[in-house]
Amino acid sequence: MNPQRFEKGQIKIYLLILPMVLLTGLPIVFIFFHAFKPMEELFAFPPKFITTHPTLDNFRALVKASRSAGIPLSKYIFNSILITGVVVFGSLLFSTMAAYALSKLRFKGRRTMMQINQIALMFVSVAVMIPRYLVINKLGLVDTFFAQILPLVALPVGLFLVKQFVDQVPDSLIEAAYMDGAKEWQIYLKVILPLIKPAIATAAILVFQQVWTNLETSNYYINDESLKSLAFYMNTLAGSTSNTVAGQGVAAAASLIMFLPNFILFCILQKNVMNTMAYSGIK
Amino acid sequence: MSNEKKQKKPKVKPGRLEKREARMGYLFVAPWLIGVFVFLLYPLGQSFRYMWYNIRITPVETKFIWYGTKNFSQIWLENAEFPQGLVTYVWQTLVEVPIIVVFALIIAIMLNGKIKMRAFFRLLFFLPVIIVSGPVMNMLVSEGAATIPAMNVQSIISAFGMFLPQSVAESVGKIFSNMIMILWYSGVQILIFLSALQKVDPALYEAAKIDGGSGWECFWKITLPTIKPMVMLNAIYTVIFMSGNEQNELINMIKNAMFSGTKEKGYGYASAMAWMYSVIVTLVVLLFFLLLGSKKDKYDREFKRRMRRRRRQERLQIRIQRRSERNARKFANDIRRNKYKTNDGSNPDY
Repeated sequence: MNPQRFEKGQIKIYLLILPMVLLTGLPIVFIFFHAFKPMEELFAFPPKFITTHPTLDNFRALVKASRSAGIPLSKYIFNSILITGVVVFGSLLFSTMAAYALSKLRFKGRRTMMQINQIALMFVSVAVMIPRYLVINKLGLVDTFFAQILPLVALPVGLFLVKQFVDQVPDSLIEAAYMDGAKEWQIYLKVILPLIKPAIATAAILVFQQVWTNLETSNYYINDESLKSLAFYMNTLAGSTSNTVAGQGVAAAASLIMFLPNFILFCILQKNVMNTMAYSGIK
Repeated sequence: MSNEKKQKKPKVKPGRLEKREARMGYLFVAPWLIGVFVFLLYPLGQSFRYMWYNIRITPVETKFIWYGTKNFSQIWLENAEFPQGLVTYVWQTLVEVPIIVVFALIIAIMLNGKIKMRAFFRLLFFLPVIIVSGPVMNMLVSEGAATIPAMNVQSIISAFGMFLPQSVAESVGKIFSNMIMILWYSGVQILIFLSALQKVDPALYEAAKIDGGSGWECFWKITLPTIKPMVMLNAIYTVIFMSGNEQNELINMIKNAMFSGTKEKGYGYASAMAWMYSVIVTLVVLLFFLLLGSKKDKYDREFKRRMRRRRRQERLQIRIQRRSERNARKFANDIRRNKYKTNDGSNPDY
């Protein structure tokens, strides 16, 4: 199936793939260059993809705008990093644990639980915003970090993805581990987790970008300015100045800054993501 | 009494091992379950309750006015946009999801082959995933980066409109105008397909080749059946992703209704909208599930049927046994009290 070296037959594949690559690559190029465009190119129509006169003006404007605010930028960055870190770790831990249990352990009600997750998956998250606020209010979490962390930890998409992968881990591996005297948590740590690494990496990227760009929690559950996240700050910065002409540049710079951590994390994890399960002993 | 108790216990009572497994299962699920209950299910239930009310939030208090089904009738009869939006949504999803899935499959197959710079290509195709949600995407769409400027959408719509109903033609036209967007949406799908493709046993292909199978036949007879579960997974994922992201008009409609200050709208109205929308999404997912769901093995089905029949027989037997015991006890009692009568009313003498 797989040819070992370059052959003529691959040319047609290249011909098909290259235009697609161009199309999918465009947004990244666009975001990158947009941040460095000078004023007159930002408003050019049709929009240009590559700048001819790159400047740092937009970033200068961004720094200027953040200086005039009461709370330093570093505080927002710290908040965002803390929230995102805890959420990614927590939701990955919980969803892999739940996926293992739901797919490999037998107990009453596991089918119902899976169905609950499916239903939660279908439901529009916008619709539960106000009841969620009431819950958070009741628990006394308004204006704490927990209000930004807890609602995001239970992400049904993560469990859904991870479970599909756990389903494919053969039972015989688990039985073998069991024969050798492994307990359930040992099976989870030493058999399941290493085998579903690609799924974890994928889920990690998905969760990360959802949390990192999340505005809702800061918007609705937090009143204290010093606890809000970077995404929220960037949004208000871009939003409050977007009516002015200079605001466009600030928005462009802000979106590049918001985009970069995603990109970096992706570059770190991509090897795991791409190295799919070919070598993991799953057939 | 003690006799009955023994009877009630199921024949296969869970052994220590099974009990332990169940206990560990609950333990593993517990944190996730708590989170889902507190932050998903409970709010869901609440919104289900709220959709029968008109809710007005004033600074002083939150007013609940019982509305019954008035919210629904208002949405269907007076809101011009929402029902129309639902129809467009259904068409758009039904057309776009297969396109995205097929596109992802083609790309995945190509990326699975050994071509030069494969890793780089894979990276590029997955990259849009990290930007398709969130504010960046909104900006890109508003800048017009998601359309192909050279394409004349209007002429495509009119061309399709000749033999298709107008709403269908419009959604088809929308697909062409959002072509780039479709490509961007398929990152995760490509990844899932890739991981499935790599698990296909190469020995199968070898065997097929030896038997004279072409690449085309290999694809239909080996690749596709093996990755079929993943096709379904991808279709469902795509539906969910498309119906929940911020570019979706219906989501914005719901959001606007939620925070609108007018008398008849508000949170109750928005809940009703959201529930209707979710029902539609579920139906669409169900449709894909039915279309792509793997049919069980014939042997498997037969086995299940036999097992069902056997279980039914066993249950019947248990019932009969129980009944006979009960009757015997009753007769014994009657005999003790000397009240036993046979069917014809005679009292046999013991």
